[in-house]
Amino acid sequence: MSALLSVADITVRFGGVEAVSNVSFDVQDGELLGFIGPNGAGKTTMMRVITGLVTPTLGSVCLEDWDLGGLPVFRRVQRGLGLAQQIVRPFNSFSALDNVALAAGQHHTARPMRALFSFRRARERAKARELLKLVGIDHVADSMPPSLPLGYRKRLELARALALEPRLLLLDEPLAGLNQTEATALADTIADLNRRGLAMILIEHNLSEVMRICPRLLVQDNGRKIGDGPAESVMSDPLVRSAYLGTGEPG
Amino acid sequence: MGYEITLATSMCISVVFALSLNLITGFCGQISLGHAAFFGVGAYTAALSSKAGLAFPLDLLAAAAAAAVFGFVVGLSSLRVRHDFLAITTMGFGFLFLGVVRQQDWLGGEMGISAIPGSGLSKLGYLGFAAAVAVAVALFSAYLKRSWLGFSFAAIADDEDTARVVALDVARYKLLAFVLGTAIAGIAGGLYAHHVRFISPDSFGFVESIAVLSMVIVGGIGSVPGVVFAALVLTALPLWFQVIEDYKLLLYSALLFIMMQLCEDGIGGLMRRLTQGRRRTT
Amino acid sequence: MLYLELLIQGLVQGGIYTLIALGLTLVYGLLRILHVAHAALFTLGGYLGVILTNATGSLALAMVVTMLVTGMVGMGVYRVAYQPILDKPPYVALIASIALFIASEEIYRLIFGPYGLSYDAPPLQGVIDLLGSGMYLKQAELLVLLGTGAALVGLHLLSTRTRIGIAWRATVTDPEMAASFGIRTQRVRYLNFFIGSALAAAAGVMVALLNNLVEPTMGSVPSYKALAIIVLGGIGSIRGTLIASLALGVIESFGTIYLGSLLDRDAIAFAFLILVLMWRPQGLLGRA
Repeated sequence: MSALLSVADITVRFGGVEAVSNVSFDVQDGELLGFIGPNGAGKTTMMRVITGLVTPTLGSVCLEDWDLGGLPVFRRVQRGLGLAQQIVRPFNSFSALDNVALAAGQHHTARPMRALFSFRRARERAKARELLKLVGIDHVADSMPPSLPLGYRKRLELARALALEPRLLLLDEPLAGLNQTEATALADTIADLNRRGLAMILIEHNLSEVMRICPRLLVQDNGRKIGDGPAESVMSDPLVRSAYLGTGEPG
Repeated sequence: MGYEITLATSMCISVVFALSLNLITGFCGQISLGHAAFFGVGAYTAALSSKAGLAFPLDLLAAAAAAAVFGFVVGLSSLRVRHDFLAITTMGFGFLFLGVVRQQDWLGGEMGISAIPGSGLSKLGYLGFAAAVAVAVALFSAYLKRSWLGFSFAAIADDEDTARVVALDVARYKLLAFVLGTAIAGIAGGLYAHHVRFISPDSFGFVESIAVLSMVIVGGIGSVPGVVFAALVLTALPLWFQVIEDYKLLLYSALLFIMMQLCEDGIGGLMRRLTQGRRRTT
Repeated sequence: MLYLELLIQGLVQGGIYTLIALGLTLVYGLLRILHVAHAALFTLGGYLGVILTNATGSLALAMVVTMLVTGMVGMGVYRVAYQPILDKPPYVALIASIALFIASEEIYRLIFGPYGLSYDAPPLQGVIDLLGSGMYLKQAELLVLLGTGAALVGLHLLSTRTRIGIAWRATVTDPEMAASFGIRTQRVRYLNFFIGSALAAAAGVMVALLNNLVEPTMGSVPSYKALAIIVLGGIGSIRGTLIASLALGVIESFGTIYLGSLLDRDAIAFAFLILVLMWRPQGLLGRA
């Protein structure tokens, strides 16, 4: 049984700068992987390699044995990669419900001609309502995103990603910008989703929440992987500690 | 009576033409400043093919196909450039179309093509045909807007990058918008060719592209009833009042300017606000 | 010899394009608006230049007054047409601008009549033997080349040597940062429209000299070409605008001779535009 996601020997160079150096890791089905590292560690670049926004200089990314190399973002999403972006970008002209319903209608929208001959939205709207309930914002289903506070929009982003029924969900700093109460609540939701069997990679700066919900951590610094394993043992590794203390960011 | 029938036929053709641009610009968010070129491709195709013996209304299908081919090519450019750049690129295609037509003898050059065969229908019959096409296109537009295709178009118009994240194949959707929209513009052009029976490059220039865009914007980008209404009124006004004919462009432009300053979402937006306001008060 | 003549004709045309397109680039750099109505100011410049020259007999005086007046009209256009809709989606300003431009052509037609005006005694029509080579250049054409050069040098000095110029560059680079440093961005915008409109007016006067004719529609073609140019050059880049203007002038000049049977002059310009954009969607010197 091979891994759900396997990232092999990824190197990314921008001009003369190496943003990511020879990083490899696997994610197993059902796993919740915390991906951490100080600012400028190359986490975002690594994430963009997985989503297809950055083409790696070397190395490969495979999802369930499919080589994702060269595939554009939407193809990767169609193959089962879910994305919840750091800077949330809902469709501002759609209600929260329709934002999620569109994603839930992936089978209608995979091909434009098929979309032309599909009309009913009731089933997708019902599913969207369920997902909004799951992330705890079903009471604002009919609101327009610009009128919602950031915490709600972050949850909306999560619900939209879930509506695509991903095999693996990438969460890019979902807790950033939230206060501690909101962050804890959203982290609980994430942990709950994982318990239901969804595999996730959580990129996050909020270390206490990551430590609380992620059994396994991946640490990157200066573009290199410096730790990978059970959370407790990774965080007691002197190399990891110095990387964090070095940037003045105690866990 | 004859004059009223001619006017009504022109109005129906305008509705078809305006709805065709509404599909591209209103539904899918791809601005076009060269849409008259596709109307022109349709008109020239219908004129030449009916002169070559292709029977009406089959030549309208040829017009749709030819316009759609050009629409596909221009649509490809929308995959490279966006927003303002796309506006200028489509404007460029409009001028390119005119420039090519003007230099080609087999297209009649500056002189255009005259003595285009009629439809074989009576004037009233042709009006009925044009009206039927206009109604069909309006119904198709209304259906499309509410289908999953319209849903996806709206998502792309809103935010292309987010559309990709929800697995939409943005490139194919845009191309389909251009192909559908320009095919309908081609039909409108074919209807026009049989209606006036004389065409020349002057009828398909930048001002015509702006005129049709103003119908879409005054109607309210994306609103099918709004665009139909604006196309009817903006076509009828200058023809009804001969006084206005002289000031047609001034009127058009002033209306457009004021609309942009006061309510950029047009008649459709006004209607929406009115009905929502009423709902809120009751 | 033919090549050299075509090249010089192309550069003269390119100089006119530069003067018009500079204002457009400045406006786009500052406000992200495709200022189509810019060409209305070019036409206004042409009319004022002819009328004032005929009234006073002095081209120099007419040129100065025309630039000042048109510059101020340009500031008015910003105040009335753009300032109220700056926070709306970009197509709103574009459509408003196109509408204003079409309206302006109609207004010129109503005020000045449809047939255009000419100089009573067209100035600068003499020819100069270029470097004694047997290459002849009209004085007016020389004026275009020198005027373009002067405008570029002047803009460069203004933006590097004066306080207001430096404030202007700062505002183009980062409006919010500039405002936080106490730069009054509103003043910078007015300056921007003043300079751009004055340059367009100068171009209008020069085109009137070259053709000895101003007419209501004289702005149409330059307007669309100038849009093509700023897009070609990479929107907001002054250097890109210069290169694109001159390149377009020269390509049209050669193209009309060698491709004239296939495409007319405007179509050549736009074919070039489309080809370049498909190759570099961000323009020649634009940042991706």
